[in-house]
Amino acid sequence: MIEPVTAKINDFFQPRGIAIIGASATPGSPNNQIVQFAKQMSISDNVYPVNPTKSEIAGLTCYPNLIAIPMPVDLVVIAVGPQNSLGVARDIKKRREEKGDVGAVAIVTAGFKEMGTAEGEQLQHDLIATIKECGARIIGPNCQGVADTYNGINTTFSVPPNTPQGGVSIVSQSGAFATSFLRWARDQKLVGINKFVSLGNMADVDFRELLAYLDEDEKTKVIAMYLEGIVDARGMFEIAAKVTRKKPIVAIKAGKTSMGTNVAQSHTASIAGNNDIYDGAFRQAGIIRAQSVAEFYHTSRVFDKMPLPKGNRICILTVVGGPSTICVDELVASGEVTLAHFKDELKQEIAKHLVSSANIGHPDGYIDMTASVNPKMHADVLKLLMNDDEIDGIIFMTTPPGFIKDEELAAAILEGYNSVPAEKKKPLLSVMLAGNAVAKCRTILESEGLPTFEFPDDAARVMVNMVRYSAYRQRNN
Amino acid sequence: MDCQEIINKCVSDGDAVIPELEAQAICRNFNISCPPTTLVTNKAQCLSVAQEMGYPVVIKIFSRQIVHKSDVGGVITGVQDTEQLNMAFDQLMDNVKTHAPAAEVGGVIVQKQMPKGVEVVVGGLKNDQFGPVVMFGLGGVYVEVFKDVSFRLAPLDKEEAMRQVKETKVYKLLQGVRGEKPCDIDALCEVIVNTGRLLSSFPAIKELDFNPVFCYPDGCTVVDARLVL
Repeated sequence: MIEPVTAKINDFFQPRGIAIIGASATPGSPNNQIVQFAKQMSISDNVYPVNPTKSEIAGLTCYPNLIAIPMPVDLVVIAVGPQNSLGVARDIKKRREEKGDVGAVAIVTAGFKEMGTAEGEQLQHDLIATIKECGARIIGPNCQGVADTYNGINTTFSVPPNTPQGGVSIVSQSGAFATSFLRWARDQKLVGINKFVSLGNMADVDFRELLAYLDEDEKTKVIAMYLEGIVDARGMFEIAAKVTRKKPIVAIKAGKTSMGTNVAQSHTASIAGNNDIYDGAFRQAGIIRAQSVAEFYHTSRVFDKMPLPKGNRICILTVVGGPSTICVDELVASGEVTLAHFKDELKQEIAKHLVSSANIGHPDGYIDMTASVNPKMHADVLKLLMNDDEIDGIIFMTTPPGFIKDEELAAAILEGYNSVPAEKKKPLLSVMLAGNAVAKCRTILESEGLPTFEFPDDAARVMVNMVRYSAYRQRNN
Repeated sequence: MDCQEIINKCVSDGDAVIPELEAQAICRNFNISCPPTTLVTNKAQCLSVAQEMGYPVVIKIFSRQIVHKSDVGGVITGVQDTEQLNMAFDQLMDNVKTHAPAAEVGGVIVQKQMPKGVEVVVGGLKNDQFGPVVMFGLGGVYVEVFKDVSFRLAPLDKEEAMRQVKETKVYKLLQGVRGEKPCDIDALCEVIVNTGRLLSSFPAIKELDFNPVFCYPDGCTVVDARLVL
């Protein structure tokens, strides 16, 4: 017997083998989907379905139980019914004591504490206690487990196996919320992810430990976090404050309307709702709190794709008046962003490339090229703006005219953006106010790493978030 | 007595709120400034203390049996000189005799009446999930109506307190509007930092209100300090 050693979080993301307990041979069922996805994502054929009634599932050898798998297994996915999960837990304990593997357990099964019944709570308690006795670590129960695009891991039934790789790691108390992000983003390649963790009931591994792990994970450039409620909020914020000195955390918090539970004896306690305290704590820890789902999605992905702005001076380049005004409103309302100042020489240079009716610098920091544009004008003006060190970021807005081809417009924007070396790069957010009419242009830009938007206010809010985070980083370095 | 002893005594006395003089003593220990305040036991002492402090003054009845002093006429504000104080002292005693005849009077609190400044609130509470939390915002009796407040986890440093202050609308007032001089925001941030320290230091203190805190161009003063056990 091997002495119980506490397993590392890394076992969830770099397992030698993955056992799926409760695997199903019925196509279209969640437990079959888990096997399919795990197999499709796997880069080393290390997925082992377990089901005592089958010899093969999805073309993979099926084992009668966990003990029977001869290969090393680090990650166990429990997808059997709640009543049968205790038996699996005992197998895990036995195997870990004999072989020393099976250190990471993702319990996908629901029907525990979240039911609000004494029975559910007791079952969860017994299950967790049995598994923890042997030093194994648990994600869940009532979750979707983990996915890792670089290591080829997927224990979920909803993270698409073709999700592009990238620098965003998602930690979520809701599996559905996070996977909807990936599906929304898929067609136009809006986001690339590294790791995905659905935490469920957080009976063992919680936000604190995952944040610390992702802090050390080099491929994680941005952490996107969906929160409902946490018991040790202070502990989580203390760790987060360290992480944000290195990489951004973008959070969305549900349950804004729930009030504090303290019985108030003072003005302070009577108006201190938990949501207000969360607001302050997010700011203090340098976490960007998104106020809407769109803001959460866009901010997370843009942090991955774009460098941070060096300051708060933003320039608007547009061919459309109204939406640009909305964008400026949103930027200025933040109180943290100003429009950039154009020097005379810059204005003269820009004028050489545009039609005479173009508006350059009214107001300062604003260029309306008018609808009389061609791709070359885009590239030429963007080059000048990218090269000017008194501009910290650019929002470009257009309803692409029908006479310019998607490919040409995308190429011009890329030419402008890529005209400067890496150290001079600044965020460029392109708003394409034409929905799917310019899907191709957007997809090209996104594939080349330039974020695009459908709506001007979304882009403005993301820019404000970047400016805010950049200021936080500067004062903490 | 040091702060912990004061708190222990209040706990064993069964106080829900730390009495004013003790609350002020705790505040001073944390460099949180309060108006000059002295407990006197007779009129002659009252007059001489007030003379020394400088008018105007406020006088308040001091009795463990009287929780809501103003309800029994136990507070008289705006006392401008010796002559007025002479009358006010008798009036205070009469009021208490009439409205709370059973109360055991331990003396009278004489306090310097502070000139009005920009009114802010600095508050604090212990939250189950967050532990000690400090609040800052627009002060006065309408705190709950305007809810112009922002929060931070305590302890915090002065730069963080500054950012907290900037999140509120009252920050504009502190910067000076309509030709007023700007307030000493640095001193205010120190109060916030020290409030965070105070709150984090004593598990027994569950909530606190410093409301109002008067902010001036040179410093700020906690006019009413309420520490809840």
